[in-house]
Amino acid sequence: MTVGLAVMVMLLIFPLVVTQIFPLQIMILVFMYAMLGVAWNIMGGYAGMFSFGQAAFFGIGAYTSSYLLMAFHVNPWFGLIAGGVVAALVAAAIGYPCSNLRGHYFAIASIAFAEIVRVYFNNWTLVNAAEGISLPMLDESFTNFMFHNSKVPYYYIMLAFLLLALVVCHFVATSKMGYYFRAIKESHDVAEVLGVNVVRYRLIAIMVSAFLSAMAGTFYAQYVLYIDPESVMLLAISIQIVLLSMLGGAGSVMGPVIGAAVLIPIAEVTRVWLGHQGTGVDMLIYGFLITIISVYQPQGVWGILSRIGNRIK
Amino acid sequence: MKVKSWITICLSMFLLLAFSGTVLAQEVIKIGAVYPLTGNIASTGLDCKRGVDLAVDIINGKYGKDLDLPMAKTGGLPNLGGAKLEVIYADTKGEPKNGMSETERLVTQEKVVAIIGAYQSSVTKTASQATERLKVPYVCSDSSSPTLTERGFKYFFRVSPHDAIFAKDWFQFLKDVENKTKMKLTTVAILYENTEFGSNVGKYARKYAQEFGYKVVADVSYAANATDVTSEVGTLIKSKPDVLMHASYITDAILFTKTFKEMGFAPKGILTMAGYIEPGYLPAVRVDGNNIIVRSTFALDLGKRKPLVAKVSQLFKKKYGIDMSENAARSFMAPFVLADAFNRAKSTNSEAVVKALLETNIPGNQVIYPWKGIQFDPQSHQNIYAQGGLVQVQNQQYVTVWPFASAAKDVVWPFPGWKGKK
Amino acid sequence: MLARIEIMPEQLLQQIVNGLLIGFMYSLIAIGLTLIWGVMNIVNFAHGDFLMVGMFTSFWLFSLYGLDPLFSIPICFLLLFVMGMLIYRFIVSKVMKGPMLAQLVVTFGVSIFLSNLAVYLWTPDFRLIPPTILQGTWEFGEIILSIPKTVASVGSIITSVCLFLFLKKTKTGKAILATEMDRESALLMGINTERINSLSFGIGAALVGVAGAFLSTYYYIYPQVGGLFGLIAFSIVALGGFGSIEGAFIAGILVGLVQTLGGFFFDPAYKYAIVFMIYLITIWIRPQGLLGW
Repeated sequence: MTVGLAVMVMLLIFPLVVTQIFPLQIMILVFMYAMLGVAWNIMGGYAGMFSFGQAAFFGIGAYTSSYLLMAFHVNPWFGLIAGGVVAALVAAAIGYPCSNLRGHYFAIASIAFAEIVRVYFNNWTLVNAAEGISLPMLDESFTNFMFHNSKVPYYYIMLAFLLLALVVCHFVATSKMGYYFRAIKESHDVAEVLGVNVVRYRLIAIMVSAFLSAMAGTFYAQYVLYIDPESVMLLAISIQIVLLSMLGGAGSVMGPVIGAAVLIPIAEVTRVWLGHQGTGVDMLIYGFLITIISVYQPQGVWGILSRIGNRIK
Repeated sequence: MKVKSWITICLSMFLLLAFSGTVLAQEVIKIGAVYPLTGNIASTGLDCKRGVDLAVDIINGKYGKDLDLPMAKTGGLPNLGGAKLEVIYADTKGEPKNGMSETERLVTQEKVVAIIGAYQSSVTKTASQATERLKVPYVCSDSSSPTLTERGFKYFFRVSPHDAIFAKDWFQFLKDVENKTKMKLTTVAILYENTEFGSNVGKYARKYAQEFGYKVVADVSYAANATDVTSEVGTLIKSKPDVLMHASYITDAILFTKTFKEMGFAPKGILTMAGYIEPGYLPAVRVDGNNIIVRSTFALDLGKRKPLVAKVSQLFKKKYGIDMSENAARSFMAPFVLADAFNRAKSTNSEAVVKALLETNIPGNQVIYPWKGIQFDPQSHQNIYAQGGLVQVQNQQYVTVWPFASAAKDVVWPFPGWKGKK
Repeated sequence: MLARIEIMPEQLLQQIVNGLLIGFMYSLIAIGLTLIWGVMNIVNFAHGDFLMVGMFTSFWLFSLYGLDPLFSIPICFLLLFVMGMLIYRFIVSKVMKGPMLAQLVVTFGVSIFLSNLAVYLWTPDFRLIPPTILQGTWEFGEIILSIPKTVASVGSIITSVCLFLFLKKTKTGKAILATEMDRESALLMGINTERINSLSFGIGAALVGVAGAFLSTYYYIYPQVGGLFGLIAFSIVALGGFGSIEGAFIAGILVGLVQTLGGFFFDPAYKYAIVFMIYLITIWIRPQGLLGW
């Protein structure tokens, strides 16, 4: 608890102490991916639905708010909620027919779904298809959800979003719903026999996960000010989300946060140091790490930490 | 006392000399370059880097004083005390979000005073949004999306032609070839890969087809990394076009060339962009590339008419051991534009540089393309003299064939087909 | 989106032929994947990268020693077989008892590692093997058959039949089938399931290595080439039914046809979306796939 508070305080004062842009950028990305990981965790780590298609919801969120802004001048904060709702609805629509898919089948279905969405957006003229949407540059303000002179407001907003996601996840983990999720994860059939409405809870998990992922998408759009299907709906993003959640520890609230905190800085820093030679060494290290973690420490870093924690007790 | 004052005088003189030494010491002006140096498109990014590096060497006077390029004769920027240019590279990995973050890092941490790059239009978009926010000049000479100069940005300038110009060139060429050969052409098929680059070309091709009076009988978009394109080519064959217009990257250029040959698709002309002029294309397809026409800003045979091009190509070959490619040639120009602007502004202050850029007037004999020169439109900041040309693959070499006035050889028209080309 | 121009029967036939040709290649890629999946319930996300290794092997044997890709087939088979067995022995076997997520993710790690190792060793440039012994086309009236693709298709059929016979007629093959059907019983019957796993992973890799050799005769080679092929292979395996060799074979042909005809009659831009859509619909209606159990 005290560790948590200390970390929280450090995070809050970080941008006041460290003013260079690059570290701030890394932290913002860490928060964003952590949030995506937490969202994934709700349906994956807790409810056992391993989705490799989260980028679809991320992208739907980004596109919904950006399109509304571009075409109808809808304020991005409303766009944020709209994006979450649209993503949740799409999630329900796809989740329902997939509600009895397990394990590998579900994983592949999620990939298929995400790819269909990406191809569709790539050809949909309403949202400029492959050209993507360049967000109009509004005046800098909190209401406009756009800042030009400094990254600090983005930092705090993303941190706030992450905290929201963590609260939701914590609630899911410790509530009765959380127990149902875990029962479903262990065994569909047993859960059904015990009277758990499997379909209903699976849908809830997927919808919550989609909503949170979409929020991160809107943030990304407001941050980078340009989106296209290649940058927000790519399979590689979905895979990255699963990998960092697993690395940090799926099935634990803080797991994805730790995973993001480890993987994202590694990816960014190795790209800056080693990237300009064009040899892919950074990704080599990445792939190697993933393999090692899966084999020797599938509980992720969180697993290691809890073991150490137990031993201290 | 006398000794003391002598020591004081000597010390002061020494300090003065040392101080003036630093003042006279050459300054270095840092500019940032963002390119995809790793990832799928790394070979192109590294190609662009070669062009930039050679340009900077020339600006800094490494290659002697007889090149008629800005700053080459002086070696360094004369109005800024002979200051030299230094490029700091950043790898975007081909992703727009990295375009933004690397640009920010280069400006705020590495303190570069201007940015060049990024080849891919989607990355240039975010990178230039960053420079617009940070109020730093961005000179682009290798991204071709028309939308980049349609945003009303103050700090973004583009030297090279864009895809709308290239698309229009295609149709102008068709009109010219109709006049020359007295062969009537009525229908075109438009084929393009489905990211921003291809779709934009498709859009402008449709527009100009209408303007120039040609009928579009097929409009096919596809994924660049397709496993197989027989259905796309089947659709093209079905539509029986006089001419095919294809916007692609290198992988699809290779795949389509092979499939065209395999399925015997041979319209009267095959006009293409980008992928067909990448350095890896001809080595991959060899004779099958013959007689295909590609849009180009640069071709080695320009050297016959413009000695400057020959000299630069030689320098390039000497430094890198390979011929100068179109990508390298395009990226080559941006450092010169910046150096010229810094020099005239006598400063690296952003506002002064932007003002100087708006007043840029580099004459045609100081560029390595067949342009009238470099001058930016005050509204869009697009170089008004930027134009493309067309080259044709003849005997596995790229030969300038259009505009006819500056062609090195006659164009082979119509396309002679694939048979007997094994 | 729908083609409004009259379609001549030869064009339709040509597209069907092309669909079959790409379909047979897909089948060959998929049967290795389904074998691994069926025997040990592991989704090999690195399957596309095994394909890539096969393609590069064939390319380097050609570039350095002038060996025609057809003759590198046995070498690709052996090399990938050994590689597969080693990867199983030292990496995959260790997650077999672990959580499902670890099993899903470990092959991703291998995939990222392999494709970037290829970038590191061989650069991201595109390679193509120039025309060799079997190149060009055969013409039957209006229909054109690409020779390399036809040879690859024949190779695919032969390989599949060999695999089929191996599984049904040899002792080891039957042991593999038994393990696939019911692991516990197989154990009880004295079958060394660990050895079977290792063997199956090796064979699965070897098969896709052979596919790589064939594919290299007409497709370009580069480190990330495995991506789309791997993705399509998953759809095929699921469509045919996890673990069913015959299912994967037939599904591969079907997907080839759907992709080509779908691209021809509808918008080629959507052709892969159509393939994935077919997968989703099949999985909803009949979760065990066409021929799965």
